[in-house]
Amino acid sequence: MENMVVKITQIILSPILALIVGVFFLGLARKIMARIHWRYGPPLIQPVIDMIRLFYQKSVSHGRMFDLGIILSLAGSIVVVLFLPFGQICPLAGSGGLLVILYIMLLAPLGLALSAGQGANPNISIGISRKFILTLGYEAPLLLVLLSVMTHYKTISIMEVVNIQQRTGWSIISFPLFLSGLAYFLILPAILGIRPFDMTSATQEISSGPMVEYGGKYLALTVLEHALVLFISIALFVNLFLGGAGNIVSFFMKMLVVFVLCLCINAVFPRFRIEQAIKYLWKWPTLLAFLGLITTIAIRS
Amino acid sequence: MDRNQITKWLKAPAKMANKYSLHAIYFCTGCGIIEVPPVITARWDAERFGIIPVATPRQANLFLITGYVSVKTLKAIIRTYEQMLEPKYTVGFGSCPINGGMYWDSYNTIKHLDKYIPIDGWIAGCMPRPEAIFIAVTHLWTLIEKGMANGYVRYKENYEFYRKNQEMALGKLDWPALYQINSDSKAVEYE
Repeated sequence: MENMVVKITQIILSPILALIVGVFFLGLARKIMARIHWRYGPPLIQPVIDMIRLFYQKSVSHGRMFDLGIILSLAGSIVVVLFLPFGQICPLAGSGGLLVILYIMLLAPLGLALSAGQGANPNISIGISRKFILTLGYEAPLLLVLLSVMTHYKTISIMEVVNIQQRTGWSIISFPLFLSGLAYFLILPAILGIRPFDMTSATQEISSGPMVEYGGKYLALTVLEHALVLFISIALFVNLFLGGAGNIVSFFMKMLVVFVLCLCINAVFPRFRIEQAIKYLWKWPTLLAFLGLITTIAIRS
Repeated sequence: MDRNQITKWLKAPAKMANKYSLHAIYFCTGCGIIEVPPVITARWDAERFGIIPVATPRQANLFLITGYVSVKTLKAIIRTYEQMLEPKYTVGFGSCPINGGMYWDSYNTIKHLDKYIPIDGWIAGCMPRPEAIFIAVTHLWTLIEKGMANGYVRYKENYEFYRKNQEMALGKLDWPALYQINSDSKAVEYE
């Protein structure tokens, strides 16, 4: 009974915690980018101020799917959060692990595409097609990376992977898996949708792509969704390659370090065109991930 | 800037959030737009006041009209303004939108922009310095706080007036009316 109560509390609290961390990261991103540009930058809570403003604004809907798609996308991201361990806490540890995450992670871009597609703006269709091509680009190396992790540790449970790493050391500095870790880090900007891979929401060329018809509450929901995606992809990297963590605080510190590294990449690179992005994603990260997978299989068998 | 205004935040969160999150839409009319890049980039850094440029009218709530308005641009301005979500604020930048400025005699530009869309504040000058935008923003904060930045309310209340003026300048408009027009009130004479 007591176990049940603890579990339910975890299920309710972990998405909220993920949202808080994600929104904090968004604010931090704007501040750090400003400091890299030698500007003072907005206050850390600027995304919260923006969101309050957006929730109070009048919003325009473009149809039933416009409302439901964004909720589907948010729900998908929240469910993924439940499968990720925060330190030693994982609300749904015993069910599915990496395989489930692989399936449900696709709900976020899919829901956004369904929702945005209702607004009949040509910029939206360009943005969505770029988003899906980019997804195709990073899903191939991501699958290879996850496959090599699963082969190496002979488990699909992330909790198990974290526990083994707690005993034997981080997998990014162990022999066959450092290739996979490197490949994951190389595709991380594409998953996060930051520069050089921000062609899906390029403000200058396609008026922020799928976001072009979002305003008011809808825009606030997409910002929350973006915060969750940020949290999920970095948390997955920390759990799989940086050894997870014994407690929540060190887990968030590790996430912070990875995120700041990504921001530095974001600050110095210009934007790829979509075909350059695919060329890059299917060349170096895929090659590294493939090499990692083959080495892992050779060593393990 | 004083950020420790907790009581104000608790009393009127919408007002405070509108004040500190002004998202301006990119709309490059006339020569005044050249003053905007220094404002949003490293030299003057408008982002510390929460002002960032956004690419679409749906996400924006601040509309800066920077410079003269030709008849063709007026059409785009009206459509952009009507697509923005309420509450929305408009600021005319430079002397041309105020009264025509140096284009007073031009056959191709409109004078008095506030006959076509409601304007919440003006920045006079030809050209105003980038600092003038910050002065305008602080004035706009005061207006928002006092509830005087109510251009979008005036637009709704006097829509017949604005629509008539728009039709007078542009001819027959090829988009439907934003609000219901029930009385046929008289529009002011076009100078």
